[in-house]
Amino acid sequence: MDLRRCGAVVSAVLASCVLVFGATGIGRAQQQRGDIAKSLPATNLSSEKQIDASLPPPAPGFARAHVADNPQTPDAKPVGMKTCVACHQLEADHFTHTLHSLGLIAANKSDPGIPVCEACHGPGSAHAQNPQGKGLIIAYTKNGGTPIEVQTKTCLTCHAGGPRDHWSGSVHQRNGLSCSDCHNPMAKFSVEGSMAKMSINDTCAQCHKDIRLQFNRRSHMPLPEGQMSCDDCHNPHGSLSSGSSLTSFPLAKTNTVNETCYQCHAEKRGPFLFEHAPVRESCLNCHSPHGSNQSTLLVAPVPFLCQQCHTQQRHPNDLQTANSLKTGKNPDERIMGRGCNTCHANIHGSNAPSGSRFHE
Amino acid sequence: MTCRFIRLLPLACAIPATLAHADSGIGVDTWRGNKLDPTAGQANEPCDARGTTWLAPLQRRSPTGNLYNCAPESPLAHEIGEWLYYGVLQVGYIGTGDHDVASWNRYADWRNGDPVLGLLQVNFERPSDGSYAEVRASRISSDDQLYQAVFGRAGAYKVQAFVRDMPNILSTNAKPIWNGVGTNNLTVPVGLTPGASTPAQVAAASAAAPTTTLGVKRSKQGLSASTYLSPEWTAYVDLSEEERKGTRAYGGPFFFAFAFAGPPFFLNDGGVDETVKPINDSTININGGLRYAGAEWRFDFSYSGSFYRDKYTSYNYQSPFKLTALPAVPGAIAAPLYQGQMSMEPDNDYHNFRATATRKIPWNGEISLSASGGRMSQDDTLIAPINCQGVFGIGFGNLQLGPANPLLMDCSKWNTTDALSRKTADMRIDTSMVDARIVLNPTREWSLRGGVKYDRQDYRNVYLSYNPLTGQYGYPSENGAQGSIVPGELGLWDPKGAPSALTRVRSLPLDIQTIDANVGADWKFDQKNTLSANLDYNRYEPTNRERSQIDASRVKLTWVNRSLDWLTLRVNYTYLKQTGNTYDFDPYEHTFSSSLPGYIPPAGGTPSHTVDAMRKYDMSSRDENKIDVMATVMPRDDMTLSASVRGDWNSYDAQIGRQAYDTVGATLQWDWQLATQSSLGAYVAWDRSRLGMSNVQDKQGGSGVDPSLGGPNYALTGQWWTTDAQRDWYAGLTFNHNIGRARFDLNWNYLYSRGLTDYSYAGSSALAYPASVSDAGPGGGAFPNMVYRVNSITAGVTVPFTERVSLRLFEYYERGRISDWHYLGFDQGLVVGNRVYTDTGPQSYKQNLIGMLVNVKL
Amino acid sequence: MKTAAKRAHRLDRTASPRAIATLLLACAGANASAADFLDQRRVEPIQGDVAAGAAKAVVCVACHGPNGNAIVPTFPKLAGQRAEYLHSRLSEYKHADAKLPYYAASPMPVQAQALSEADMHNLAAYFAAQKPMPSPTAANTPPGETRGERLYREGDSARGIPPCQGCHGANAEGGPVAAGDQYLVYPALRGQHAPYLSARLSNYRAGWPYRASGDYIMAGVARTLDDESIQAVAAWLAALPPQEQH
Repeated sequence: MDLRRCGAVVSAVLASCVLVFGATGIGRAQQQRGDIAKSLPATNLSSEKQIDASLPPPAPGFARAHVADNPQTPDAKPVGMKTCVACHQLEADHFTHTLHSLGLIAANKSDPGIPVCEACHGPGSAHAQNPQGKGLIIAYTKNGGTPIEVQTKTCLTCHAGGPRDHWSGSVHQRNGLSCSDCHNPMAKFSVEGSMAKMSINDTCAQCHKDIRLQFNRRSHMPLPEGQMSCDDCHNPHGSLSSGSSLTSFPLAKTNTVNETCYQCHAEKRGPFLFEHAPVRESCLNCHSPHGSNQSTLLVAPVPFLCQQCHTQQRHPNDLQTANSLKTGKNPDERIMGRGCNTCHANIHGSNAPSGSRFHE
Repeated sequence: MTCRFIRLLPLACAIPATLAHADSGIGVDTWRGNKLDPTAGQANEPCDARGTTWLAPLQRRSPTGNLYNCAPESPLAHEIGEWLYYGVLQVGYIGTGDHDVASWNRYADWRNGDPVLGLLQVNFERPSDGSYAEVRASRISSDDQLYQAVFGRAGAYKVQAFVRDMPNILSTNAKPIWNGVGTNNLTVPVGLTPGASTPAQVAAASAAAPTTTLGVKRSKQGLSASTYLSPEWTAYVDLSEEERKGTRAYGGPFFFAFAFAGPPFFLNDGGVDETVKPINDSTININGGLRYAGAEWRFDFSYSGSFYRDKYTSYNYQSPFKLTALPAVPGAIAAPLYQGQMSMEPDNDYHNFRATATRKIPWNGEISLSASGGRMSQDDTLIAPINCQGVFGIGFGNLQLGPANPLLMDCSKWNTTDALSRKTADMRIDTSMVDARIVLNPTREWSLRGGVKYDRQDYRNVYLSYNPLTGQYGYPSENGAQGSIVPGELGLWDPKGAPSALTRVRSLPLDIQTIDANVGADWKFDQKNTLSANLDYNRYEPTNRERSQIDASRVKLTWVNRSLDWLTLRVNYTYLKQTGNTYDFDPYEHTFSSSLPGYIPPAGGTPSHTVDAMRKYDMSSRDENKIDVMATVMPRDDMTLSASVRGDWNSYDAQIGRQAYDTVGATLQWDWQLATQSSLGAYVAWDRSRLGMSNVQDKQGGSGVDPSLGGPNYALTGQWWTTDAQRDWYAGLTFNHNIGRARFDLNWNYLYSRGLTDYSYAGSSALAYPASVSDAGPGGGAFPNMVYRVNSITAGVTVPFTERVSLRLFEYYERGRISDWHYLGFDQGLVVGNRVYTDTGPQSYKQNLIGMLVNVKL
Repeated sequence: MKTAAKRAHRLDRTASPRAIATLLLACAGANASAADFLDQRRVEPIQGDVAAGAAKAVVCVACHGPNGNAIVPTFPKLAGQRAEYLHSRLSEYKHADAKLPYYAASPMPVQAQALSEADMHNLAAYFAAQKPMPSPTAANTPPGETRGERLYREGDSARGIPPCQGCHGANAEGGPVAAGDQYLVYPALRGQHAPYLSARLSNYRAGWPYRASGDYIMAGVARTLDDESIQAVAAWLAALPPQEQH
């Protein structure tokens, strides 16, 4: 079936279902905001485990969750989520539908020894007695009084490894960023990724507004259109790339620039029968990845982009002027339209036996 | 939607049953939204009027000092047994102009009057065990839509499937003359004779050609899964398949037109065809891995594979233009060539394995070792060197093959793959990488780190351009056209017939080895200040390049300051010095016929490859200074000012080539949380870049032997310089405000980019057309400004009717003005002499879009 | 508590005609708050005319006793209480929906209706300036290691009870103003009548009232308390001598 029709039909069906539901206010019990948090049992953090056998065992990802270590409150005791929620109802309400909440609360229900709030915030007794005291709880905020290293270490207790394997020593770590500069798991601030802002891109733009604005330029990757994110190319948690090599770039997800680009532009991978040396080396030799006012993300206008390297005899090294444009006296294919690429079309490499100059 | 999900079935069969995965460590597809809502639904969520907490006004700030967003309202969930569900459906219409413009429609397929599914999002949760499921969809059109479904259990497993179509409109004003656009066979239309048409005839055909949209649609489907195998072990796999279908403007050379248009020839010769390349391919990407995170050890084993398949190996096109042998040679007749070919990208396979082991060590440290090995390979069937029939080259008096016509070649000895040294490409690059690093935190004040990395790309195999049928080396240049116009420039070398011909005979393997070593330290000299220094040394060793070793040393200093409650300041400074061993301006000789035994240099000697003073910018010595200052200022509880200043100055040690590339920019962003549900944001930014380069015209018609700058061929009077200066001014405003229950939103973005390319030259011989330069003063001039100016405003209101139903009305107005001098005059016709263009170039536009969406909370 | 939550929720959602009307207001630049509760999270110190307050307080003393030292222990002592708290309570009453159970039972909504903003400032200032007197029963109950004190100082995490002192001050003298002006409306509790305190806590536990942002906090806290705990903490607080006036 035609895809457009398919999509339209599905939408229509869903829409009518919804309108019927919405209009009649179907007679199901409705979960009130915050009820989940309120119906919690008290957390049992003091005695031995009291596992509820009627419930599934805690998910492996939460099974070892424990009260976070807050070096600033060595004497504090855990108080349990119920105590926290007594005052922090609104937070609990917003937290309820996050993945952290789902997982921790379910784990806590089947094993009351697994903390919820205190898995991340550390033992709460000192804070409860003196909520104004800085650092008495592991806070993830500007003025909470918890050192950045304690914050990141706490998150990494569960989130060590994987994409975050090289956080230590990464440019964001060196610049004193905390996990909570980019993530806020306390509510659904983003549809995915527990981001602090509405999207990954908005989150990065908090500091990298200049880069984000480059995507408003004439040619750009479809990032403002929501079709991709900064994370498609960069791993903000750190990477193996040094950034000083000709083939690498900061916080790369792959070993080289080109491997990153090939993830979406696999046709450029080749290797081609005839290679263009700077292309094989790094796409960034000619392309400005975040946006450009030239066509196709080019660093400079053709033919000058090419003439930075091509001084060979005959046609490549002439200085073209506006006189060579179609409106000039000597229209010249070396600068009109796609310029050099009109003839050297397979500029990324050619698989034609007669393509050593990328003509074919 | 269901129909498209069928396409997932093959992927589903391939996925191990137990095992969604998009993460910041591996793969793409980390985000799926569209222009209607780049936040994928989040922007649709109203702020909770109650605020974030009962205990304090407003939101808290992130450690850097940015105010967190307002907390969205918690959903109103329904219960079905153990499950809760809630969701949103947003459907409606958009109205926009019918006139499509590439820049406006580039990645958003707005269609006037079509129903749109703004958002369908349904979430299911089972609090008892943390299971969840989610469906999300959005659809602007059949070319611009996304559907995804996720289910899993928090902390246990996650499975995700998606289907996404994404448009990439490249031109909406293309007028290709050919029949068969979108296929691999382009033929000239009725009324034109291939290889025998005059520019006037082609111009008429071009004018009569219908306006066509060129673009590519990417249709992707993916399936991914991740699971905990134990509290320490996790496994993941993602599979995706993406099809690209469409067309794009491309090239088609039948040798220069420019060279013959003026004196002494005044000929319409050669042929320049902006053809249309068909895009029809498919890529399968696979990522999978196992991870272990224990108290002391961490391991990460991963595999990435990618498999690219193109429907076409090549496409053919007919050139309409007549070729004429240079009249300078008496009796010369050009072979009547018109059949052109363009190879497509070869099918390729990619595999990469990576393993990382990390262990905690004393001094609160970590040591980590990573190794990876990979291979990218292709073995596509090669196309024949030429696809002509009859003969190519030049005949004297006639086009009969034979000893009387030594410059005439038999197509039948070249238009077959028997004319190749091998039938398939058989090219491969093996990659290997080892990385070791250590981080130590001996005290709270000090952090020390170091690392080494070794990376190699081994380029396997070399292709030799040799025709066993004729014993000739080289290739027919430009579909045979070059040798059919210029006597002897066939592109073929043979020890008997053309022992002095200079042509490419070998491919260029590009092995690369990189060694990187770095050390660094952070010193938190008080609670509020961190100083950090990093030293990095990089040795880059490419083969068959101008330098075989490039050394880059970099020092990077960082200062993070939080001394003042209202300020977070980050300052980074980098100095990089790149040098290298001897620069060889011609490392490519071995790929030319001049390296073959039996080569006899021409009378005056073998022409030099290029000028000796050329320094290609990747290879050249370079000094870089880079500064980056970021400040987050908190003037009041409810305000944040973010300011950044960045500069990057690169100075290249090049007389010829890129000499400088400097960029400077500043941004200022102001955010004000007026009230729980009201916010105002504004920004201004500016940046500038200047790229300076020099080149030099040659004076000896291609026969110059002396490569030296200032010598007889590359005389200093032929030197010229250009500076490309880009400036961008940005501004924008965002305003969200609630009045009663009505939500207003306003978003304005403005960009004015101006590029100015100016040039100067030592003598008029530098110019392509010294006689007729009109736009330049003595010694220099400039191109018209390259302008891109976009004003974009979205204003919307969301009015609730009931607790669950609201209506969103919005207006999106955008005006874009584009001026690109490459395309000046193209709107007056796309044929200039023996050149036919397809794309009229970027267009300015003014578009208005009105949307009406009903929003229902399910 | 479920009904209360639902009501609270409905309070901040109104039907469409009004919303459409506000569209027009928007254009005129009118500014209306969307939140239908008294937001006590942004509080500024208030000033009032003590003498004028004294004149207005004639009616109040009937229940709240001379100088706001209520004799009848079901009425709160107002003397020496924080002005911002007193003002906030008056505002709550003034804007309360008298049909809600909590307010229906109280004479205060009617009383507060008659007060102007200036009156409320003055009254608050007047009572804040009065010297609190110890309760007649106070001296008989020496402070010590009682359950009430433990709850106040440490809470009871097994029951999910947070310590009261976090918000009401280490000595029950009111919220720690040094940490932020929002604490101005966290009342002093020491020396307050136990029956009054018990009644307030019981009401909170029942979900009444829901009028100010602070009520939502106290409702959450009160839900963790059983009758015995309420009695214990109220008795301990009542036994504390009133704080010294500064």
